[in-house]
Amino acid sequence: MTTLRAFTCDDLFKFNNIQAVLNFLLQYGIPFYLQYLAHWPEYFIVAEAPGGELMGYIMGKAEGSVAREEWHGHVTALSVAPEFRRLGLAAKLMEMLEEISERKGGFFVDLFVRVSNQVAVNMYKQLGYSVYRTVIEYYSASNGEPDEDAYDMRKALSSDTEKKSIVPIPHPVRPEDIE
Amino acid sequence: MLRHILVTSNMAARGHVQDPNDRRLRPIYDYLDNGNNKMAIQQADKLLKKHKDLHCAKADPSRQVLKAIGLQRTGKQDEAFSLAQEVATLEPTDDNSLQALTILYREMHRPELVTKLYEAAVKKVPLSEEYHSHLFMAYARVGEYKKMQQAGMALYKTVPKNPYYFWSVMSLVMQAISAQDDKLAQTMFLPLAERMVEKMVKEGKIEAEAEVQLYFMILERLGKYVEALDMVRGPLGEKLTSELQSRENKCMMMYQRLQLWPECNALSYKLLLKNPDEWQFYLSYFDSLFHLMDKSWSPPNEEEHCVEGPVQTTVAEAVKFVVDRMEEEDKKDSRPLRGPYMACLELIHRLRQRGCPDEEELGDPLELMLQFFGKFGDKPSCITDLKIYLHLLPPEQHTQFKNRLGDLVPLGEVGEDGFGFPGDTKVLQRHLCVCQLSRVLGLQHTLDTEGKLCLITELKAHYHYGLQFGKSCLKTELQFSDTYCLMVAHVYIDLWTETGDENMLWQCLGVLEEGLSYSPSNAQFKLLLLLLFCRLGAFQPVVDLYSSLDAKHVQHDTIGYLLTRYAGSLGQFAAASQSYNFSLRFFHSNQKDTSEYIIQAYKYGAFEKIPEFIAFRTRLNQSLHFAQVRTERMLLDLYTEADITSSLEESVKAMGLCPEEDDIPWDNMRDNRDLTVLFSWDPKDRELTEEHRRLSLEEESVWLKVRSLTLRLLASLALLGHAPSPRNSDKTNENGVSAKSSTLQTLLSQLDLTLQTAAQITEKQTQYPFLGPPSSRLASALSSGSCHCQASALQLSLTLQELETTGLDDSSELQTQICNSFKSLIVQLQELLSRCKGEVLEMKDSRLMTQPSLLETLVFFVETVCVVLWVASYSASVLRPLKSSLQKKKKKTKDSSTAMPVVLSGFQEWTGSLQGIVTQALDHVKGQEASLTALKLAALTLGVGHAQTQEECGFTRAAMDKVQTSYLGSLQELGDLLRKRADSLKSLKF
Repeated sequence: MTTLRAFTCDDLFKFNNIQAVLNFLLQYGIPFYLQYLAHWPEYFIVAEAPGGELMGYIMGKAEGSVAREEWHGHVTALSVAPEFRRLGLAAKLMEMLEEISERKGGFFVDLFVRVSNQVAVNMYKQLGYSVYRTVIEYYSASNGEPDEDAYDMRKALSSDTEKKSIVPIPHPVRPEDIE
Repeated sequence: MLRHILVTSNMAARGHVQDPNDRRLRPIYDYLDNGNNKMAIQQADKLLKKHKDLHCAKADPSRQVLKAIGLQRTGKQDEAFSLAQEVATLEPTDDNSLQALTILYREMHRPELVTKLYEAAVKKVPLSEEYHSHLFMAYARVGEYKKMQQAGMALYKTVPKNPYYFWSVMSLVMQAISAQDDKLAQTMFLPLAERMVEKMVKEGKIEAEAEVQLYFMILERLGKYVEALDMVRGPLGEKLTSELQSRENKCMMMYQRLQLWPECNALSYKLLLKNPDEWQFYLSYFDSLFHLMDKSWSPPNEEEHCVEGPVQTTVAEAVKFVVDRMEEEDKKDSRPLRGPYMACLELIHRLRQRGCPDEEELGDPLELMLQFFGKFGDKPSCITDLKIYLHLLPPEQHTQFKNRLGDLVPLGEVGEDGFGFPGDTKVLQRHLCVCQLSRVLGLQHTLDTEGKLCLITELKAHYHYGLQFGKSCLKTELQFSDTYCLMVAHVYIDLWTETGDENMLWQCLGVLEEGLSYSPSNAQFKLLLLLLFCRLGAFQPVVDLYSSLDAKHVQHDTIGYLLTRYAGSLGQFAAASQSYNFSLRFFHSNQKDTSEYIIQAYKYGAFEKIPEFIAFRTRLNQSLHFAQVRTERMLLDLYTEADITSSLEESVKAMGLCPEEDDIPWDNMRDNRDLTVLFSWDPKDRELTEEHRRLSLEEESVWLKVRSLTLRLLASLALLGHAPSPRNSDKTNENGVSAKSSTLQTLLSQLDLTLQTAAQITEKQTQYPFLGPPSSRLASALSSGSCHCQASALQLSLTLQELETTGLDDSSELQTQICNSFKSLIVQLQELLSRCKGEVLEMKDSRLMTQPSLLETLVFFVETVCVVLWVASYSASVLRPLKSSLQKKKKKTKDSSTAMPVVLSGFQEWTGSLQGIVTQALDHVKGQEASLTALKLAALTLGVGHAQTQEECGFTRAAMDKVQTSYLGSLQELGDLLRKRADSLKSLKF
């Protein structure tokens, strides 16, 4: 039971329970949020509980070349506050992002996830995503820990009738080789 | 393409490197990009020299500007500016110069100069789409809406592309939004915008979704809801596809505005059938249902009820609807949705509000909540959900409810300690939820001390037991049982505030430190620790805690108050300065950040975001916290530096402080503090209320007013000192002086009024919930007497000014008055100092006791000493010339018998007394430092009576050590500052 609505700047002032608890999730500055709001407002959705608490949000964009059949939806951030986990909210937000990407005629939806984040990888697998390729040292190091690889995970949309976009690439790639 | 995606060449980019000129610019750009500004300047110079036969700017304007950028970045602003202006007066029309100048002006924070640049360029190259659009964006950056409207139109006339036309329309909407006079908006700007769009509609020229969105915005702002509705439902509405349910949401909004309850009801019903978890539509469904009932609305006999389909008008239908939704969920194999069950409780709540007996048909709230707990009790959100409807239970059912909930939690066998534990994390979560609910119901608060201590033992046992489930948790993840630990802390706080037993507080700190050791990412632990250390007056540990919270941008506004409220007031000046800087850096970047994205919103046609971005910027600019940090930062700099590293006057000038200017938006202050950032499961009657929020804002505003007036008074004092002596100057200067003293006079009477208001506020003695906003410094500032002492010191400077005009002859009354003020200030300072006496930390009967208020008073004392010494130094500057002219006179008349004027002897006596007080204070600080250092905390026996484990005692000890070290740190900083002030006293001798 959730109110799903467009994200607004005022929501930034209510972010503390999402952000303070999981501070690593929001490494972005204000410009980053504003850029998404200015460019892809429809892809920025927030979930609100009946008491007004922010439960989580998803932020994404559409990008890629239509001619090369690479036009797609991208999940930039997906975050659910700890006290609103295990309610299926992440799945709901992903479903919405996929629907928006469908309408734009995207061929697939993709996202990056830390290789070590098994919980997230499994969740995305359950939602129909598969590992398309591994991106070496995509996440830069912090706190003295080493750089970490990312999985580029994809799910084909209905425009990609033959599901060409998700055929895995066997060799890992470097961050500079991806668009 | 649905949205306007209009990418004009990026201003800052250097995409097209084609002509040879560009190629040669490349290395300069590269140096600038790499931050090697010196090399950039050299490179530019080298290339410029090759053309030395020609005038530099004319020969190679772009290189000239690049050099200017290098100069700007190496701190040579003036040189950079004049170099840039040399190029600008040539009115360049080449891309490189224009782009480089744009970058330069932006870095100089002179965006208005960019508009001049492109105005000239457009005049010279009137057909350039690019320059026209740069001009539009340059206006957008400075918010020149009218000029934007014209520039947009000019652009459209040059290149008839739809987006340009609608940029112009949007600029009209912005004129409406920013108009002081709403009438102007409603009768001129918006109707004009509407006509402009209508023209395009009639000509069939509407292309993009953004254009339809903008049309909707205009109609909505004009209050033309019927027209807006028709538009959304009509063919234009078909373009609204990007956002999910865009048309439905807009229709719903209009139905509500127009009070079209049948449509609102039918649409909510339809949407809920599709998604029975959408909370907002339950609310609109119930709202509309009751409106229809109140109006006894009945559907037309034949056709459809309304355009949106069937309408429900009776409680029976609503009950059936909700019950059906719940049954649907019950039947599902997959995870049930919470929506329908919550809707059932919401409906009971609303029926009860209306005194409607039908609520029984939905069932007993107690049973329904138990049912809800049965289904969702293992979710962490269960408490948040049920909390909203606990008022449906009568108080006499509370214990029964708690017990029956307990029955639904299968704990393991009861062990030696008398507790049974959960077998997995789901049961743990359920048990936790019962604990939380019993706290919300007030059942924990009614326990006596013994009962609370038992509860602590039980919660601790659960906490430690639950840690085993999270052994494999990453450092960034929370422990499943963290919330038990937090609840233990809350019960300790209850005990501390009720009994005053500081041991409870120390144990509380220990348990939170322990929690943090197992769960280093738990922000709630950090926040509560931070709050407790602040209350204890120990600021040192707070700095690390706050930085480990890794607060980002807006959080410097929303939770920054936790830090900045205490930073300066506890005498940790270096840390205070750092924490003000954190916040200020964010606030200052805001202006630049937002204008960039306002421009992007135009480019991408996200018109609805433009007013939103502007409102966001305004909200930050008008922030209470911003104003506080700004003021405190300057005051702090004066207290710690003025007359130590540079004179008061120089400091004031360096800050650009002008006593006449008040830049605080008193009437539009925004309180962006998040006052509920700390989790609380307190019962409703102990929660933070709207009244608390109002009082806290009121108190903070008045305190801010006191501080900002003090700051402006100090600025005024500094400039007073600078005034030329009136007898040596002509009449015009005299006017200047009197203007300055009248500013001082005005500010003093404002301060006086504010202090009166302040006294009224502190009389109320407002107590906020412990986890709510901290009280401001207002009450302690008043009770310490520091405010009044500072005010009288500043008042004295006025009297001295008068003496300066009158001279020593015929001013005996004035002189006596001044001497009395000298004496009175000494008495006030002495009293203030006596309020600082006492032990800030001491051991009594193997208990550790704190008196953090002594530290706060000591800070007030030091601040007040600073103010008094500045006034003393001003006094010296007034008296010195009077004395020397007197001596000259004496020499002339060779008269040595005349007594020294009272004011001069009074001043000498005064500086002596001031010296004495500062020495006393220094002795006091030294004494405190010595007794703090002598305290051997290791000698304390901990854990007596309260079964604290060895490990817990260790954490408690660590917390005590932190407090002790922090107190010492504060005393050292205060002592250092006092010593420096004492040095400045020497210069007052004459």
